[in-house]
Amino acid sequence: MAKEYKIALAGEGGQGVQSVAGILVEAANDNGREALYIPNFGVEQRGGVSIAFVQIADEKIGSPKFKKADIVIALSDRSVRRTAQYVDERTTFVYDSAIEGIEEELPKNAAKVYAIPAIDVAKNELHPRVFNIIIMGAVIEATKVITLESAKEAIEKKLGYKFDQDPKLRELNFRALEKGAELVRQFNK
Amino acid sequence: MADKPIKGEKRFFVTGNEVVAWAALAAGVDIMYGYPITPQNEVMHYWTRLAPKYGRKFLQTEDEISAGFTTCGGVFSGARAFTATAGPGNTLMQEPMSMAEMMRIPAVFVITQRGGPSTATVIYSQQEVTLTCFGGNGEGMRVVYSPGSHQELYDYTIKAFNTAWKYRFPTFVLGDGYQAKMRESLIMYDPEERGIQMEPTEMIVGKEGTPGVDREPAHLRNTYNTEEELNVVVNELVDAFWKAAPEIVEHQEFNCEDADIVIVAHGVVTRAAQAAVKELRAQGKKVGHFRPITLRPYPIEAMKTAIAKAKEIILVESAEGQLDKIVKAELYGSQIPITPYFRPGMGITAEEIIEFINKKG
Repeated sequence: MAKEYKIALAGEGGQGVQSVAGILVEAANDNGREALYIPNFGVEQRGGVSIAFVQIADEKIGSPKFKKADIVIALSDRSVRRTAQYVDERTTFVYDSAIEGIEEELPKNAAKVYAIPAIDVAKNELHPRVFNIIIMGAVIEATKVITLESAKEAIEKKLGYKFDQDPKLRELNFRALEKGAELVRQFNK
Repeated sequence: MADKPIKGEKRFFVTGNEVVAWAALAAGVDIMYGYPITPQNEVMHYWTRLAPKYGRKFLQTEDEISAGFTTCGGVFSGARAFTATAGPGNTLMQEPMSMAEMMRIPAVFVITQRGGPSTATVIYSQQEVTLTCFGGNGEGMRVVYSPGSHQELYDYTIKAFNTAWKYRFPTFVLGDGYQAKMRESLIMYDPEERGIQMEPTEMIVGKEGTPGVDREPAHLRNTYNTEEELNVVVNELVDAFWKAAPEIVEHQEFNCEDADIVIVAHGVVTRAAQAAVKELRAQGKKVGHFRPITLRPYPIEAMKTAIAKAKEIILVESAEGQLDKIVKAELYGSQIPITPYFRPGMGITAEEIIEFINKKG
């Protein structure tokens, strides 16, 4: 795990990319790794594409933002267009297969392009609320920056108070995490 | 009430704005004055949540002019006081800042630079260097630290209070929107446990005793009647500043001893410059990096030594030549060519510095 990972997560406001980034870096930090996370932010109160820039490494990290990512996750049509600039020939580009009308705009220079049915799985198999946790599972499987176990600990830390009230939520979140990992694993085989 | 905010050494993973609030607590700050502006808001946010637990205070004012003046007022009463602002707020606050220069008020100002001119972006830049070092209708008798990491943000926020109270000049921690908003790890500590003694504060207005009988009168003025009178005062101010300067200046250098090219950069951009030097050295190129930590006073003697054998300086900053102007003025008479790499209002990565230098051949 000596490699330094640069991750760009992009979605519409409300899709939870910033909270995924937050939990991911907390977990990395708890595991003694170096992590740096910066959200993009502007003057708008809502709307617009939300991007989280995450870097995880074994040594102190350089610039807070980066030009090219190792992995880009785009969760809406606008996010696909917006994140093309972070892709080069080393990038794994992951997008949701439910996004329509972007086939022509998918980056052609990416090392790998994965379409995962995260929105569909969240809606039909699990619950729309755990969509971002599915995405988190996908990021972890694609990068191995942390283990699923430490991700679970981080989720527990963040949402444990809710799980205490309703233990089924814990199970739902953990299943979402596993499911997200599974969606990417089939490409990595 | 809890006594010390930080006991022992603790690893934190937080935003830079939270770092500033914790550092001010650890430094024994009594009160923060402030007015909201992005990307500084969370300094106030965290301070207002943390401060009451440790018996510290906060006052929100009606604007930045007032936030600056109330900070000066707090200091007059003997409080260790600070404020934080950015961009257009920094512009408005120049009036109280220049009063602090004139009256030697040890106030601390934390600046989180955003894009300019005017409202511009709330994100990031290094475009408030000129304003922070030389703003106001004065002579720039200010101490300006430019940190590059959360660790330094913590260290230099604590140090700013000591520099201010020791030398009695307004002292600035010049951060930026990236440092304000990003999360990374750092170690927080209690300054005393590390052997850092906080400079004692004292009442400046309303001291005990009768003026002229028990003590010298406190002669606090920012208004003068004659040119001659003012000139004497400003000369004293300038002399005191340059006398203190050698004790205040700080810098860092990386592989400058045999470097042909020296990258000069400050603040968060030093991270890109350091990474670029590492990579370019691995490619066999003789590149070094000089980084002023104090932008005012500028560590010119150290810089002259660092570039003594260099053939070229590459000046890298997220502004259209604000550090460049300082460097050129300080290097007056030197023949070394300075090549600009200016990206006003934009972040700079190691990769683009490497590409720029490699393309030059």
